[in-house]
Amino acid sequence: MKLNLFRLALKNIGSRRTRSWLTILGVLVGVTAVVALLSIGTGVQQAVLQQFEDIGYDIILISPIGGGTQGGRGAVGGFAPGTGQSVRAFSGQSPSPPQTDTSTGGTFSPDNLGNAAANADGNTETAEDLRDALRRAATTSLDTQLLLEQVPQLIEAGTLGTQIQPVSTESTSGFLRVSTPSLDFLASFSSVLGGFDIAEGASFANSIDNQVVVGARSAELLQLAIGDSIAIGDIPFTVVGILSSSGLQDDNAGASEGALSGQGLAQNLGTGNSADLVLRGLTNTDDALFVLNERASEVLAGRSMMSVTITRVGGGAPISETKDAIQAAIGQQEATGTPISIQEVADEIQGTLGMIETVLASIAAVALIVGGVGLMNTMYTAVLERTREIGILKSVGARDGQVLILFLFDSGLMGLMGGMLGLVLGSLLSVAGTRVLGPSLGVGSFAPVIDGWLVTGVLVFSFVLGALSGVWPAWRASRLNPVDALAAE
Amino acid sequence: MLSLHDVQKTYEMGETQVHALRGVSLQLLPTQFSVIMGHSGSGKSTLLHVAGCLDVPTAGTVEYKGRDLTTLTSRERADVRSSEIGFVFQKYNLVGNLTALENVGLPLLLRGKSAKYASARARQALDLVGLADRKNHRPSKLSGGEQQRVAIARSLINEPAMILADEPTGNLDTGTGERILDLLRGLADDDKIVLVVTHNPDIAGMADLLVTLRDGRIAAQQSLEVVR
Repeated sequence: MKLNLFRLALKNIGSRRTRSWLTILGVLVGVTAVVALLSIGTGVQQAVLQQFEDIGYDIILISPIGGGTQGGRGAVGGFAPGTGQSVRAFSGQSPSPPQTDTSTGGTFSPDNLGNAAANADGNTETAEDLRDALRRAATTSLDTQLLLEQVPQLIEAGTLGTQIQPVSTESTSGFLRVSTPSLDFLASFSSVLGGFDIAEGASFANSIDNQVVVGARSAELLQLAIGDSIAIGDIPFTVVGILSSSGLQDDNAGASEGALSGQGLAQNLGTGNSADLVLRGLTNTDDALFVLNERASEVLAGRSMMSVTITRVGGGAPISETKDAIQAAIGQQEATGTPISIQEVADEIQGTLGMIETVLASIAAVALIVGGVGLMNTMYTAVLERTREIGILKSVGARDGQVLILFLFDSGLMGLMGGMLGLVLGSLLSVAGTRVLGPSLGVGSFAPVIDGWLVTGVLVFSFVLGALSGVWPAWRASRLNPVDALAAE
Repeated sequence: MLSLHDVQKTYEMGETQVHALRGVSLQLLPTQFSVIMGHSGSGKSTLLHVAGCLDVPTAGTVEYKGRDLTTLTSRERADVRSSEIGFVFQKYNLVGNLTALENVGLPLLLRGKSAKYASARARQALDLVGLADRKNHRPSKLSGGEQQRVAIARSLINEPAMILADEPTGNLDTGTGERILDLLRGLADDDKIVLVVTHNPDIAGMADLLVTLRDGRIAAQQSLEVVR
């Protein structure tokens, strides 16, 4: 009997085609928005978590932020002063009067040398400002060998420093991020640097020569090839390797299309959370230059802006206890830093992404509710228009319940159709969306997640939404007196 | 036999009470072609609705097969309409978006019969009223007489014991009306209770039982077997 009513409902929808499609369109828009946002949101979460899995959940990051008795993570000025290391003035570059550079002529511009960098807002920084920023950001490096002895749960440790350095080639010059991984870091934690995948040339051969490995985008911008020479802070280095592209967007894009802002980056590093550090500062290798920490500490001494120590916990030792041990070891070394497990960083990011996803899905849900109200309106109008038909159905033996089910099928089917079409459109939108959003979110290319749960959930929900929207009109229809209904014009 | 005892029906129209039926008692028998006549507002349509379980009287009883139909629930009344009663209306009351075949098969679908069975039976019923070749037409593509014949086919599909017709020839020309009346007359001969409500005096000549209503009361009741 239900099947017969289902057929009748289909007939009814078909008989008022235009209005049915317009009603379905209302649901379709809402479902499209929900599907697109949920699938993209889940896709982003999974892509981010995959990055952490690649890095490894047995890793504890020792962030230079906070630590010891100083301010907590993320506090401005949380960096401890360096121990004898300081940022010296960039030799060979005389500070110029502040200038406003709104040309946004790319990351590298000879004009920017010595002027410090001008950011996209047109604010200028003097060399002194930059030095101040670097000084604020300077920090103490841990002795990783000592740390391994102090904390037996750790099996590996390595240091990755980050500096902002003036660099110049024969054709161009400017400021760039210089990452300084130690040899043990590269041996143990190359995954943090996207595998440190060499596309051309080779990795560092030794820590004696001034060798530099160049990120893909930097190599392109600086027009560097293997064997070329590049001056980093006036020290000549030879390009020995060029990394393959990580697929991530320029880490300076969006913040500034102009020259790289040293102060801006220093502030980012000082105020950004640890997740930012891992995702943006470490994994995006495209825009950086790489010099061995062992070499940098000699020739670029005093220029270290920040260094992150990365450790790996062995033998399934408890992460929290190991963290406590590390914290104690940091104190013993009289250094500063806060141990953060990758799991904590992942949780932090997942929590934030989840919150954003919830907010966006809530907004999309409003669109869906509006579609439901439109459906209710259509069904209410249909009941008014079909009053006589309801009387006919009742006169030929339809029970109240059958009339109710007929109208619920009617509205539910329209909801379901909107849901199905919305699912298709939302899926297409999410595929397109991920291609655009992936690089800008810093997670490279990723796929939207459209799993069985989403598909089933959307279809069931849209049918239920449609049916619920039709409950009141359908109930009214079922309660109509057959004589009164037959008398309706 | 369908027996109405002292049936009263009062409508509330705001603060006014309208007494449509004021104590009507009547017995309708199988094979009997019963006709109820009266002016507009005399209560004849209300009487048909009460007799056909479309409405519940304010007082009185309607007995059929030993049951008082006035005490039934809404669902039970629907079941009685489905299994025992076939309606024919002045305005045909066909569902506009269904074909003639689908309209005729509708009562069977509502009783849970399969679409295939309903379709086969509807074809037979349409054949009976001479509309086999018009089965796939929607009501808007049929003439008044054809629509009424579809309505009669629909009223017969469940093989009901009673056919209740409200002004079945009201919208039809004389010739077509006569053919419809012949059809209804034939149904009475097939052992069905046939009740026709009309104010067409020509139909009176065909009646076995002629009841005249005035102001909700039976003004005259004649057994006219002699007329046949």
